[in-house]
Amino acid sequence: MKKRIAAICLAMAAAMGVSAAAEGDEMVLFTWQGMFPQEVLDGFTEETGIKIIYSNFDTDETMLEKLSQAKGGDYDLVIADDYIIDQAVQEGLVSEIDKSIVSNFGNINPLYQGQFYDPEDKYTVPYGAGIPLIVYDPELVDFEIKGYNDLWNPELEDSVALTANYRVINGITLLSMGKSMNEQDPEIIAQAGEKLLELAPNVRLIQDDNTQNALLNGEASAAFLYTSQVTAVLAENPDLKVVYPEEGLGFGIMGAFVPSQAPNAEAANKFLNYILEPEVAKQCMEYIGYYNTIGAADDIVDPSLVVPDSVKKGEIIQNISAEADEAMNKNWTEFKAACGAE
Amino acid sequence: MKKQNLWGFCVLPLYLFTLLFVLGPMVYMVAVSFAANNSSGYGFEWLFTMDNYKKMTEPVYLKCFAQSFRLAFSTTALAALIGYPFGYFMAKLSEKRKKLMMFLIMVPFWTSSLIRLYGWIIILQVKGVLNGFLKAVGLIDKPLKMLYTYPAVLVGMVYALLPFMILSVYSSVEKMDWSLTEAARDLGATPVQAFFTITFKMTLPGLLTGVILTFVPSMGLFFIADILGGNKIVLVGSLIQDQLTRGSNWPFAAALAVILTIMTSLMIFLYRKITHAKNLEGMF
Repeated sequence: MKKRIAAICLAMAAAMGVSAAAEGDEMVLFTWQGMFPQEVLDGFTEETGIKIIYSNFDTDETMLEKLSQAKGGDYDLVIADDYIIDQAVQEGLVSEIDKSIVSNFGNINPLYQGQFYDPEDKYTVPYGAGIPLIVYDPELVDFEIKGYNDLWNPELEDSVALTANYRVINGITLLSMGKSMNEQDPEIIAQAGEKLLELAPNVRLIQDDNTQNALLNGEASAAFLYTSQVTAVLAENPDLKVVYPEEGLGFGIMGAFVPSQAPNAEAANKFLNYILEPEVAKQCMEYIGYYNTIGAADDIVDPSLVVPDSVKKGEIIQNISAEADEAMNKNWTEFKAACGAE
Repeated sequence: MKKQNLWGFCVLPLYLFTLLFVLGPMVYMVAVSFAANNSSGYGFEWLFTMDNYKKMTEPVYLKCFAQSFRLAFSTTALAALIGYPFGYFMAKLSEKRKKLMMFLIMVPFWTSSLIRLYGWIIILQVKGVLNGFLKAVGLIDKPLKMLYTYPAVLVGMVYALLPFMILSVYSSVEKMDWSLTEAARDLGATPVQAFFTITFKMTLPGLLTGVILTFVPSMGLFFIADILGGNKIVLVGSLIQDQLTRGSNWPFAAALAVILTIMTSLMIFLYRKITHAKNLEGMF
C-alpha cells in the first residue's frame, strides 16, 4: 500500500515537473468572452511561441473573487473594467507593468491614462473605452449641436432621447455646468437638479435598451447614447452626426493588468507589448467595437472608433458619498416626473 | 371527523407554502423597511430607523403616489365605461356567440403582454400605423407624437386590464334573474328605470369586483408606463424598481412597497364594506 502511494506521488511529481517545463510556453488570459479576434491570439503564438489559454468570466465581480481566491496567482493577464481594477489594486492583487518589455507603452493615447484607478500609469494598459455621446439627425435639427448644453436648446422640444442611468445623466448635467461628474457638494448637486428640470420639456423618452431606435423611427431627433448604441445607429443611418461634447466626456475604460503572483508575468508583458502594436491594436479595436485607446493606431483604425484630438477631457464615474448619491437619486426621480408632467 | 383530518392533511402543504413564500417575504419586507441603507453600494444595516418612511413625505415621492392614484383611477373609470356595456351585452348573446366572444377575449392572453405592448408601439409611433392612416385620410399633415405620453400609457393600461372588468361584469349579468326586470316592466317601469333600479343594482357586485381587479393591479403595473410612457410617468412601482436596482436603496424600496401594500389592502377592505361580500365575485 505504501509503495503504491509513493508511486502515485512520484508520478504526480513527474507530471508537475513536466508542466513546470511547459509553463514558459503558455499564459492564461482572463477576460470576458470575445475580447480578441482569433488571428491576434494566433499571431502572438506564432511570433513568440507562447500559447494562450483563454479563460473567461461573466462579470467584473466574479473576476475579482476568483483572483483574490487565487491570491493574485493562476492568471497571467486580466482585462476588466476601471472600477474593479481600482479594487484589485487596493487589495494588492496587481503587479507593475514591466516597461522594459512593454516598449510600446508610449503608443497609448494619454487621454485614457492617469485615471483614478492608476494615476501614475504603473499598473494598466487601457484596452478600449466606452463613451456615451450625443447623436443627432441633421435633417431634423436646424442648429449644430456641440455639447451637452445644446440639449437644453428650446428648438429640441420633445425631441431628445436619453439613456436611463441616473449617475450618467446627473454627470453630464454637472459637466455642462463645468463641474465634475463625481461632484460631492450637495449644494452643487441640487443646482444640477434644478438645471435638469429645465431639460424636462425637451425629453421625449428615457430608456436604457435600444435607445438608438428612437432616432431611426422618428421619435427623437437627438439622443444621448452608449457606445454600442452609437455604433449600431450609425450602421443603420450613416448620415447621423456624432457629437463629442465640448464640455468633456464620460468614460468607461477597460484595462489590462498583470496579477501580483502571475505564474508567467513575462509572457503577459510580452502580450501587452504585442497588442500595443498599431496593426494589432487596429484589429482588436475593430473587433470589439469600442473606442480606440491606442493612439498610435488612430490613423489606421476605423475612424468612427477614434475620439478627435479636440477632446482633451474625460472623466470616469466613481463611487461617491452616500449623501451625494442620495441627492443624485432624488434629482433623477424629480427629473423623470417633470418629464412626464403635461 | 376522519374525513376532516384527511382534508387538513391535504391542505397543509398549501398552508406551509403560503406561510413560507407569501407571509415570509412580507415579514422580511416590513423588517427591511425599518433598516438603514448601506452607504456604499448594495446592502443595508439592521439598525431600526423611521428614515425610510420619513423620506416618503418629500414632495417628489408624494407626487409619485399621486401620479399612481391618478393613473389607477382613470384606468379603472375608463375600463368600467367600456367594460360594463361590453359585459352586459355579451351576457345577452346566444350561447354560441358567447363562447366566441369569450374566446376572442382570451386569445390575446396567450401572447406575452410585453409583445402586445410592443404592438402598441408600432401603432402609436411617429412612423407608425395610426399616423400613417390619419395622414392617408388627410386629417393631419404632420405626424402626431402620441407615444411616450400620458394618454399612451392610459391606453396601454386599459387595454391590459379591460378583460378583468368585462369578465366580472359578464359573470354577474349572466346570473341575473331576468324575470325581475320583466316584473318591473309589467308594473310600468320604463326600460331605463328598470335598468337602473333592478339590473344595475343586481350587477353592482360584479362591477365592483371588476373595479377592484383593475384598480389594484394598476397601482403596480409599472412596466406599461415604462414602455409606453418612455419612463417619464413615474409610478410607485417604477420608483420601487429604481430603488432596488440602480438606486440600490433596498430599505427605501421596502418602505414604499409596505405603503403600497397597505393602500391596496385598504381598497379591498373598502370594497368588502360597501358590498358586504365575503368573496370577490368572479375571482374564483
